[in-house]
Amino acid sequence: MLNEKPTWKSSIKGWLYLLPMLAISLTFNIYPIIKSFLMSFYTKYDFYNDIVSAYGFSNFTYLWNDPDFHLAVRNTLIFVIGVVPLNVIISLAIALMLNKIKYVASAFRTIYFLPFVTSTVAIAQVWNWIYNADYGLLNYLLGLVGINPINWLNDPNWAMPALIIMSIWKGLGFNIVLFLVGLNNINTRYYQAAEIDGANSWHQFTNVTIPLLSPMTFLVTVNGVIGSFKVFDEIFALFQGSSGPSKSALTIVYYLYEKFYTEWKYGIAAASGVVLFFLILIVTLLQLWYSRKHVHY
Amino acid sequence: MQVTFKDVTLSYDGKREILKHLNFVIQEGTLVCLLGPSGGGKSTTLNLISGLLAPTAGHIFFGDKDVTKEDALARKVGMVFQNYALYPHLSVQKNIEFPLKMAGLSRGDRAKKAKELAALVHVDDQLDKKPGELSGGQQQRVAIARALAKEPSILLLDEPLSNLDARLRIEMREEIRRIQRETGVTTVFVTHDQDEAMHISDKIMVLHDGHIQQYSTPTTLYADPENLFVAQFIGEPVINSVPASALSHDLAGVVPADILSQAQTAGIRPEALTLPQRALNPLTTLHGKVVEFDQFGRESTAKLDYNNLQLISTEMGQLSHDTKELDFTLEKKGFFLFDANGKRIFGGDDHAE
Repeated sequence: MLNEKPTWKSSIKGWLYLLPMLAISLTFNIYPIIKSFLMSFYTKYDFYNDIVSAYGFSNFTYLWNDPDFHLAVRNTLIFVIGVVPLNVIISLAIALMLNKIKYVASAFRTIYFLPFVTSTVAIAQVWNWIYNADYGLLNYLLGLVGINPINWLNDPNWAMPALIIMSIWKGLGFNIVLFLVGLNNINTRYYQAAEIDGANSWHQFTNVTIPLLSPMTFLVTVNGVIGSFKVFDEIFALFQGSSGPSKSALTIVYYLYEKFYTEWKYGIAAASGVVLFFLILIVTLLQLWYSRKHVHY
Repeated sequence: MQVTFKDVTLSYDGKREILKHLNFVIQEGTLVCLLGPSGGGKSTTLNLISGLLAPTAGHIFFGDKDVTKEDALARKVGMVFQNYALYPHLSVQKNIEFPLKMAGLSRGDRAKKAKELAALVHVDDQLDKKPGELSGGQQQRVAIARALAKEPSILLLDEPLSNLDARLRIEMREEIRRIQRETGVTTVFVTHDQDEAMHISDKIMVLHDGHIQQYSTPTTLYADPENLFVAQFIGEPVINSVPASALSHDLAGVVPADILSQAQTAGIRPEALTLPQRALNPLTTLHGKVVEFDQFGRESTAKLDYNNLQLISTEMGQLSHDTKELDFTLEKKGFFLFDANGKRIFGGDDHAE
């Protein structure tokens, strides 16, 4: 019945439908989040017996004074700034080109999408070879244009760029597909109208494509920023279980991992997780605020 | 701007021709409708005028200038699309300004011009709104203002009213007529609605099957259809079309024998069947049965059975309801005979006194 009034009985029935998913969410998402928030305040903690003997802020003061954590935050920000804008620009450019191709476009789409479905470890192995200082493909190509070989994975100055390049490449496929969907959703009438209104290709791009694609660009950017803040497996796989030469690719999640699994400092690991959570929250809120003005739905 | 098509042919795939050797002239300052059923080539013709499509063969002239090779921008056409195609992210004012911005006008000049045009189409109180906040009719007005912004050589409207409801459609069609008269811009209007075309146009071009079926004033189109297709396409209710042989007995002696022998189909406008006492210029009298009689507000239709053929008349309002059989008049005006090719061979201006 369309005009049925909600009753206790109908509400309980509704909640029962939600229950299975809710139970999974509560157990594996909500509870761990609350627990890790609490854990960040444990200062004396017996992990095996789960006994907390003291609470306090000392985990956060430790992070505040730890040069490693400062490095991790800085590296994470460099990574985000290095990956996200280039990733968005390159995937948009490729999507625009794919959109123009009449034939074999789907073959190209598949090729570009492959990195997304391939395991990060496998990708890292291939890039490990590409980056190899002595017989890697990249140095060979650079050699052709007269650039001296770079020790990508062992030089602290080049480890982060190497990580960024691989991550951009890995993220392209999915974003290209999203941009293609966005481009297909723009009615060709707008381009015809713009052409009649005197807009050349560039003006059509800036006045029709960019604004009408902005919801998708926003989605891709927010998604990219959150994903990049959480970068871990690319580092672990590319640098074979280390955080790069002299910690040059140490990021917040890598820092968390080390504190938790190798140093057993659970409270500090949890505290760094909380800091990451608020960093992502602030950046995402900033993006939302920016989108109010510049994203056209 | 006067538009001339010389032997224009268009084929999308190089095999099937959508338009075949089109020749016509659209006089400067007139409003011309391209009318016809879907797939008849109306929108294709419009896109050829706009420059969004290039003809496969033939030449297009604006005034004396051959513009066949020029694009939409160089031809300086204004166009209104069926779904308006207003830029959803721009305000009404920015939408109207867009062609001026592309033309490189200063901000102040743009705003001034946009306000003038908004006043012309009566949306001057909506300038800051986004297209999504406007009703269909208002969006249509904005689209017309935008098309007029660059003072186009010719204004093209592609089914501009088909997304509007019935009442708004009538209002906007009057508005388009008013705006066209005020600006004097040569206007080409595509529609599949013959009623719309009849009300708005100076001249109507009926397109079907890639050919111009007839290109004349609305009155001529209705009174002197050149062929069966035009006769059937124009007019509501649709013209009665019956085999000429069924009428041959009653027409013998009224229509010259040589014409009658060639006639394949007879077309009778519903208003050409009247009661004898109201006849104006009778051709002959027919006899038939009343099948059904309906009154709709001020309109009435009577379904008559004549020689087992059904004829519809709109002029039997005074028929008494218990009439079963009657003699009725076939008027000269509104009666046509067409030959086997559909060409008119009797009626209209050929034989009307």
